[in-house]
Formats: sequence, C-alpha cells, structure tokens
Amino acid sequence: MKRVLEGSHAVAEAVRLAKVQVISAYPITPQTHIVEILSEYCTKGMMKAKFLRVESEHSCMAALIGAQSTGVRTFTATSGQGLALMHELLHWAAGARLPIVMAEVNRALAPGWNIWVDQTDSLAQRDTGWIQMYCEDGQEVLDSTLQAFRLAEVVNLPVMIVLDAFYLSHTYEPVEVPSQEEVDQFLPPFEPKFRLDTAHPCGFGPLVAPGDYMEMRYHIAMAMEEALDRFDEIEAAFAAQFNRRYGPVEAIDCEDADIVFITTGTVTSTCRLVLQDLRAKGEKVGILKLKLLRPFPTEQIREKLRSVKKVAVVDRNFSFGASGIFAQEVRAALCNMPVHPTVFGFVAGIGGRDVTPELLEMIYWQTKTSDVPQKESVWMGLREVKNVD
Amino acid sequence: MNEAKNPNPLFMPITYLTTESNKTGSWRFLHPQYDEKTSPCSVACPAGEDIARIEMLASQGLFKEAWETILRENPFPSVCGRVCFHPCEGQCNRRELDMAVAIHSLERFLADTAIRYGIKPVLEKRPSQKQRIAVIGAGPAGLSAAWFLSMLGYACHVFEASAEAGGVLRWGIPLYRLPLNALLHDIQQVEAQGVTIYTGKPVSPDVLEIMKKDYDAVFIGCGHGRGMSMNVPGEDLKEVSEGLDFLRKLREGETPPCQGVSAIIGGGNTAIDVARSVVRLGGKALLLYRRRRQDMPALELEVEMALEEGVKLQELVAPAAVARDEDQVVLTLQEMKIAGDEGGRARVAPDEGKTRKVRIDRIFKAIGAQADEPRHQPPAGDEGLLSLSHTVLVRGNQGPVMVFGGDLTNETKSVVHAVASGKEAAMALDTLFREGFEAIVPKLEACRVGEGPSLSMEIYMGGQRRLRNPHVVRYEEINTDYFGFIPRVIQPRLLKEERVQSFEEIDLKISANLAMKESERCFNCGLCNQCDNCFIYCPDTSVMRDKDHQGRHINYDYCKGCGLCVVECPRNAMSLREEES
Amino acid sequence: MIEIRFHGRGGQGTVVATILLAKAFFQAGYQVQSFPFFGVERRGAPVEAYVRLDKNKILLRTNVTAPNHVAVQDQTLLNSINVTRGLKPDGWILINSPSTPANLKPFAGFQLAHVDANRIALNHKLGTRTHPIVNTTMIGAFARMLEMPSMEAIAAAIREDIQVEAQRNIEAAHEAFEAVCLMGRIG
Repeated sequence: MKRVLEGSHAVAEAVRLAKVQVISAYPITPQTHIVEILSEYCTKGMMKAKFLRVESEHSCMAALIGAQSTGVRTFTATSGQGLALMHELLHWAAGARLPIVMAEVNRALAPGWNIWVDQTDSLAQRDTGWIQMYCEDGQEVLDSTLQAFRLAEVVNLPVMIVLDAFYLSHTYEPVEVPSQEEVDQFLPPFEPKFRLDTAHPCGFGPLVAPGDYMEMRYHIAMAMEEALDRFDEIEAAFAAQFNRRYGPVEAIDCEDADIVFITTGTVTSTCRLVLQDLRAKGEKVGILKLKLLRPFPTEQIREKLRSVKKVAVVDRNFSFGASGIFAQEVRAALCNMPVHPTVFGFVAGIGGRDVTPELLEMIYWQTKTSDVPQKESVWMGLREVKNVD
Repeated sequence: MNEAKNPNPLFMPITYLTTESNKTGSWRFLHPQYDEKTSPCSVACPAGEDIARIEMLASQGLFKEAWETILRENPFPSVCGRVCFHPCEGQCNRRELDMAVAIHSLERFLADTAIRYGIKPVLEKRPSQKQRIAVIGAGPAGLSAAWFLSMLGYACHVFEASAEAGGVLRWGIPLYRLPLNALLHDIQQVEAQGVTIYTGKPVSPDVLEIMKKDYDAVFIGCGHGRGMSMNVPGEDLKEVSEGLDFLRKLREGETPPCQGVSAIIGGGNTAIDVARSVVRLGGKALLLYRRRRQDMPALELEVEMALEEGVKLQELVAPAAVARDEDQVVLTLQEMKIAGDEGGRARVAPDEGKTRKVRIDRIFKAIGAQADEPRHQPPAGDEGLLSLSHTVLVRGNQGPVMVFGGDLTNETKSVVHAVASGKEAAMALDTLFREGFEAIVPKLEACRVGEGPSLSMEIYMGGQRRLRNPHVVRYEEINTDYFGFIPRVIQPRLLKEERVQSFEEIDLKISANLAMKESERCFNCGLCNQCDNCFIYCPDTSVMRDKDHQGRHINYDYCKGCGLCVVECPRNAMSLREEES
Repeated sequence: MIEIRFHGRGGQGTVVATILLAKAFFQAGYQVQSFPFFGVERRGAPVEAYVRLDKNKILLRTNVTAPNHVAVQDQTLLNSINVTRGLKPDGWILINSPSTPANLKPFAGFQLAHVDANRIALNHKLGTRTHPIVNTTMIGAFARMLEMPSMEAIAAAIREDIQVEAQRNIEAAHEAFEAVCLMGRIG
C-alpha cells in the first residue's frame, strides 16, 4: 500500500517488517525520528524487539556487537558526531563478521556546529569494512533497508544505509509499503553461521598473530567482492517480487551522452529534473547515480562510461588536502582504462546548502566549456567571505 | 617568508555576536516567575513562625536574624524551644525523604545563642498610638498580647496576681523541662519591648471596673488554674490534692512530702510532670489513666522518659472511690474497656463489675483545669460578641473592649496556642481602633499563613512575607534530586540515672556546627535561598541577578518560557504560568 | 507543481498541518512532498513547513523559496516575519485572524483570505485559550481557498494521522471551510 511517509519512517517501517530482534540507539538529530518511532513500535508491541537505551553511540555499537553475536537480527541508526564516536567499533563489527544493519543520516561534522546534510561523516568510515548504500528517496530507503539485511547476512558483513539529512530523513512523500507476508517471503528469518552458544563454548575476538590475520583480512576483501554479485542476486529477487530495482549504479541516458553527472543521494533526484531540461535543449547529457560506495562498483562504472567524454562528479563531502571523495573514487576506477572520460570534480551543498537545479546546470555548462579541469575540485556557489579577522 | 601576506585568512567557527541579537522572549507562551510560597511547617505552627526562613538563615550562620524572625511571630523562643509540642515537625515535607527537620531543637539553639551573647533584637515597631491597653494575667497569652500590641505602638500594662510573671510557665512546669533563666529571658524581652508588668496585683471585680475607665481595652488571660473534680467519694480527704498545686509548691521552692507511693490520676502533661517530679523527690509514682498509653494527650517522649525513670503506669482504670486506711489510702479503681473510637483515641466505658484496689500514700489529680472564677469566662450569645479562632472579643455599649484569650478560649491548651491567642487579640484590637469592628474578620483573613488558621504579625505589619503565595508546598513539588539522605540531629540528653537525681534540665545544648548542619537539611519549602540553580540552568541567560546580588529577576525579552528554571528550583520558589495573550 | 509555505510557532502543529495537507492532496490523486524548515525546533520560535504537489513524481529536492501560496497560523508573526517572502504574484495568503488585517499594504499584489481559527479551534475544544491548536482548522480554510483538496480528502488525512479527537478536528476543519473570508486580490 502506498502511504505518505517520512524518510525516517520509511527506514523504521523496513526495520519493523524485517522483524529485527535487537535495536540499540542513542538519539542525535537528524536521525532521532527513526529510533523514536521504533521505540514506540517496541512499546506498543508492534515489534517483538528488545530496545536497548545506551549512554553513547560507542556503547550502542558495542551492545549490538554483543547482541548480534548471539545470532539475532540487529539494527541501529546514527548520524554525524554519533557515527564518528562509533568508529572504533565499526571496525570491530566488520572484523567480527557481524551482519549488523545501520541507518546513517548524513550530517555535517562540527565545528561549526551543523545538523544539516554532508556526506563526510559516512565517507570517513569508508575503510571500516562496512557495505555502504546511498539512497535517493523514501522508497529506495525502505527497499534498501530490507535488502541490506539479506545482503549482510549472506556475506557476513555489516551494512550502512545512508540517507541525506532532512532532504530525505525529514521529507514526507508517497512510499509503497509492502505487507508483512511479502517481506517474510523476501527476507526469511536470520540463520546465523555462528553464534554465542553455551552448549558449544568458544571465544570471540582472540589475539590473532601475523600468521592468520592477513588471511582473515583477505577473506573480508573477498566477501566484499562477493557482495557485488550477491547484491545483484538479491536485487533480482526483490525486483521479481516488487518490481523495483536500483542497481549498484544507475545509468540514465548515458548511452549517447558526451557528459555524465555522477551523483549520490537526493542530488540525483534534482539532477533528473535538470537532465530533462538539458535534454530538451538538445544537450547530450546523462546521469550515473552511485548507490554503492563499498563495495565500489568499478566494473559497472567503467562499462557505463565507456563512450563518455567527460564526467562531472558532484560531491557533498570533501577530503581536505585531496578532493571530493566520490571524485577520487571515480578517478581511481577509471584511470586504468586505456581511454577514459575526463573527471571534473565539483563540491556542492556542503553543510546543508541547497543543490538547486540552477547550480547543477552551472556545473554542466562549466564542464562542457572546459577541456580539462582547472582544479581537482571546484567549489560551487561559494560566497565571498568578508571581514575576517 | 612574509607570513603577513598569507592569502588565506582564518575563517572559522568563532562568533562575536551575542545571543542578545535574538529576542527569544517573543516565542514565550509560558511565563516563569519567582513565586515564594508557604511551607507546611509554618502553617502547622499555631504561632505561624516563618520556619522555612528561620532555618535558611540559621544554615547561613545568621543566628541573630533567625532568632529575630522567630520573635516577629512568637516572643517565647526560649520557652517554646523547650516545651512546645512542635506540630511543625509533624508536617515537615522532609519526613517523606528521611526524617523531619529538628525544628524544635533549632529553635532552642537560636534562643540559647541569643542569651549567651546578650543579643538585642532589632524589630520593626510602629509609632506610638494613643490607645492604652490593660492585660490581666502575665502568662504566655497575656504577655504575647502585650508583646504584639507593643509592637503595634500601644502602651500596655500587665497585671499579675502572683509574685512573679510567667503564669503556668513559672508555676506549672518543672525545672527539668523549663529552667528559670530560660523563662526569665523571654519575659525580659517582652519588658524590653516597652511592656510594664505589675506583679502581685490581682484584679478584683472592683479593680476591673476602675481599669475599664483608664484603658481602651482589657485583655483577660488568667488561664485555667483550678482543678476539676473527680466526683468520687473520698475526694475531699487531705491525701487527695491537685497536681497543679503540687507543681506550684515545687516551683515556689518548697519540697512537698513524697515518700511512699503517690498515685497520679490523668494522662496529660501535668500528670507526667507530677509523676516525674515525685520520682525526683525520692517517691514512687503510679500513673493511672482511664484510656491507653497511646491515647494520652501528654507528649509521647515525656511518657517514655517517665517510664524509663521508674514511673509505673496502669491503663484503662478510673478512680471510683477513695478511703483512708490507717496512714494510707485505698483507691478503688473501676476497670475500663474500649467502646469505640473518638477522634483517633479510644472511647472507653466502665467494664461493669470489674474493680480493683490499690494502697497508696496520696493522690494527685491531673485531670484538667478550669478558670479560677466564672467571671473569667467570656459571656455567651451577647450582641457585639466576636468569636475568633483563639480569642473572644466583647464590645459593650460603653466602656472598653474586653478580649478573652489563652486557655480561657483555646480549644488546645498549649503555650504556642496561647501565643496565637495573644497575637490574634493584638491584631483584632489594632484593626478595631484603626478601621472599625467590621474590618476585623477580613483583616485577619488576609494575615493567615497559607489557609490558616495561624496568623502572621509580619504579614499584618506589611513585611516581605505578605508577598508569599498562600499555596502550601507539597513534597512532590520539591525537587528532591537536590537533597540526599542526611540523618537528623540527635538531641543530646542526660542519662536516666542522671535525670532522676535532680531537677536539672534534661535536654542539652547542641553545637552551632550541628545546628547549621541540621538547618541545612531544611528544604526551605517555597523559599528562595539564592542557590542560583535558575541562573545556572537558564539556556537563554535571561535569569539576572539584582544589583544587590540578593535577588533574581527574569529578563522577559529573552526568556522563551522553557520552564527549566522552575523545574530545577529545588524548593519550589518559582512558578510557571500560561502567558496572558 | 504547486509549492505551499506554512508559518507558525513551535508547538502549534505547523509541521503537522503540512503533513495533513500533503496526505489530503495524495488522497486527491496528487504526488506530494512535505517537509519542515530544516533546523532546530523550539517551542514558541517561528517555524516554517512546506508542501509540494504535482500530477507527476516530484523530483525536486531543495528548500521552497518561491511558494505559490502561504498560510500564517499565528498573526503575531506578521510583526516579525515577512510572510510574503518569495511569494509568487497573485498567490494566496491565508491568515489566522479574527478580522481583516488593519494594514493591507504588505499584501498588495497577492490574494488575501482570513479565518478566525483560534475561535473555531476553541469551539471544538482543540487546545487551550492561550494555546489553541489551529492546524486542522487552517487546512480546512486552506482547502476552500484553493478549491482543493476535497473536504473528504482532508477528513481522511485527519483520520489517518490523528487518533485522539479526530472527529473534533474534522468538524473544526469543516467550520473553517465555511467560515473563511476570501477577500481576493489586494490593491
């Protein structure tokens, strides 16, 4: 049934339908609506889950690591500073091969104190071994969350569902909510491959010497690679049942395009509007929407951009001393192609600033009229800063 | 390298804007305000003492100011700190947390401190008024009336039949409870206020008629000095006497004979006083009470100490007959049985046919007292008769106003009720003189502590206390997060072996250190003690200190009505109201 | 696409008003988006919330800066907030006010409507005298002003979202629908 749902509640609905057994959370704007409604579901008995209130995000992830080790389905949500505080345990969750699912609402890091959207928080966790999925609208949030449990549990890696603060988390829009029977069919109960079990005692997280550690890491690397294939299978199953499919990347009008926007999150949605306008003017433009950051869909990107001349990567994030992070990832993916498009990097919408159709058009025209990028990253829409002392 | 030419200035999260640019007061629809309220102890105190404030001052070491705060409502802190039945402690909100604050011990501490350092109180006093008032009886009621009338600017002359002032305090309470110097100090305070006491001046009907010509009002507070009759055969034997007379002889310096066994009939404080005095004089005391121990009007602690000291108690017995048997008397006792309940005490009735006899050496009656003369009683049903809560005012067609007070009109006969009576008389007379008869009742109503019936002279005289909200603070309204469990001070006392050997005062002094700690236990229900929580917690820095740093006010340009200050006020000295639109 | 902006104060249910309106338009066959002003929420502080509606899927994911219509839930905001900021010419302004605003100058070039939402809300026991809850009343008046969505759609949205006192809210919306004064274009 289609309902007008807030993005946060689309996450919560999926978590409810996934019959998560343990939820732990610490509130932080703009994530709070997610766990607020989940705690209500638990209180009202609409979910048979244990809701753990904890004193920090660090404790939250620690609690979930413990819970997940017993072989139950777990979930949390966080944002910005909260995710940063979890950092140590994100490594632990992945290294321990625990299929925890987390919703992460992108929020700018302080100082300056800022609750608005900025992807640097989740991108800073790129190397923790978590699968990361960036979502465009409420429907994708709900669908990806359901898929995330299945993917996490099959490859034994944790998954982060990433959504833009406010533009997605606090926006109400029509979302198709599947029935419990449908979800049960898509997502059977979790069958752990290992669990804490007093009948069969074992130790978790022992000291691992150089003789084994490297192989264990290699197995995580392999699981990440496997995740791409598994994701494809899961999406196929999902599409067969619900008739919706997103892909690790989505190429829109890329076949004949000279210039392709590379976008993530809600910027993709606004960019679709710009694409319609530009195409109407006869411009050969496309969009490549990136959904997966880890595992990074290198092959798919190469294939979709085979005949493209220039790409304009829109980054709502920045790696100081380098460039926009998605731009770096794209450059790295493309550089070993014998012929590859030129990568133009743009930084836009930092700290919650609007990425408007006008701004995206400017990015397009700037890319079209330049042969080579003047800089690795061009910051868009900067205002002049006066009177600094 | 010339760093001054650095092309990248620092643009960083530092702000020189103050929050003053955002007048958040426009958001407000709830309105916090300082709203001092009424503590339950002060309502329970018949004299309406401002206890929450007294303890606050004591906790700050302001002993003189604390003592003066008592004196504004009660001229007898030294006496009441010893013999008051302290109903205040029974209503202390702190009971719900651990134990009541030791208000009684602290009152005595403050009085002792004033005596020790010879402190002279500085109290507000009205300019002299033209009316003159005579007071008959220098007991607690009469002296209180004189004290408060004198505060209000009236010349007062007190006429006392006995050789010394004090009434029942001087002649009816043994020294081990109320040492003479403790009483004298309070009486001297009254005199220092400008009251003249004439002792050895009984007022006969003739003298009263003369007085009526000289004075604008006469307060009659002669008390209840005459014992009641048991109405049993043999009551007139010389071995049967009044407990009050026995106590009086003792206080006059005599040593009445006490060898053998003395039976004391009654269960009030007088009965206990007689019994314990008998023990101290080397006799044996047998207390006979028609109800049970828990039904006794005497203070429980007094009963407990009496039994410790060797007083024997027989419950549920009433005297039926007295007969001499050689040099002793035989008292026939009718056994009583419980036949129901009346106001929390057992109602008893004779258990027919069951009697027993005790052989004893003498009998003291302590079954209540009445006025010495019927003319001391206020007339009933007269025109111009105004019955107030602690006094009866009689305004004849001519001549001065007569006010009956103290035990003559009080339902509960206690020192602090006598004080309440004197205060009420003073307020009523002053209002009568200044605003007329009809104004008395509304004026008194406006001076109640909380919902009353206690009255406050500070409110009457227009002091700060009149600004208090009459709402009585409840325990749930205290933010007990700010109060931990702290044990109540233990009143040091003589051991029972020491007690029975003399009439030395039993309750010992507590140190200033202990007194301050004990007074800090007080929640100061409803009062601001400048703890600054409102200031600390206000997220809009809109709680401002007054210029003198002794008060706070709220800057409503910025207060957005979040109510944090009200919630974090430990003692409920603030309120949150809906904004008037 | 139509964009709508609601002005109110934190605690007045302004965000809920836009959610209910979005749900009602969705019932009426529109694609919708609704979201609050992205910021911190504090009781009593001026707040804004928005609705977008269109016959097609709404792709635009930006703030609303140039609304087609505006609603003002608290007329005291007129002193401190420029409620016509970015408003498109001839756009409707619905004000919660017992009477026609004394000063019509700021509304020149726009269409004005007013409704005594405080009185109507209190008639239906919504909120307290100093703090009436006017959001459902306002959307009733709003539906009359734009001639959409239908009152059936408004009632359905209220029933979906408000469990307690749904009927009183629906009645208030109906009363406002009847009572709203549509002045039309000013100057």
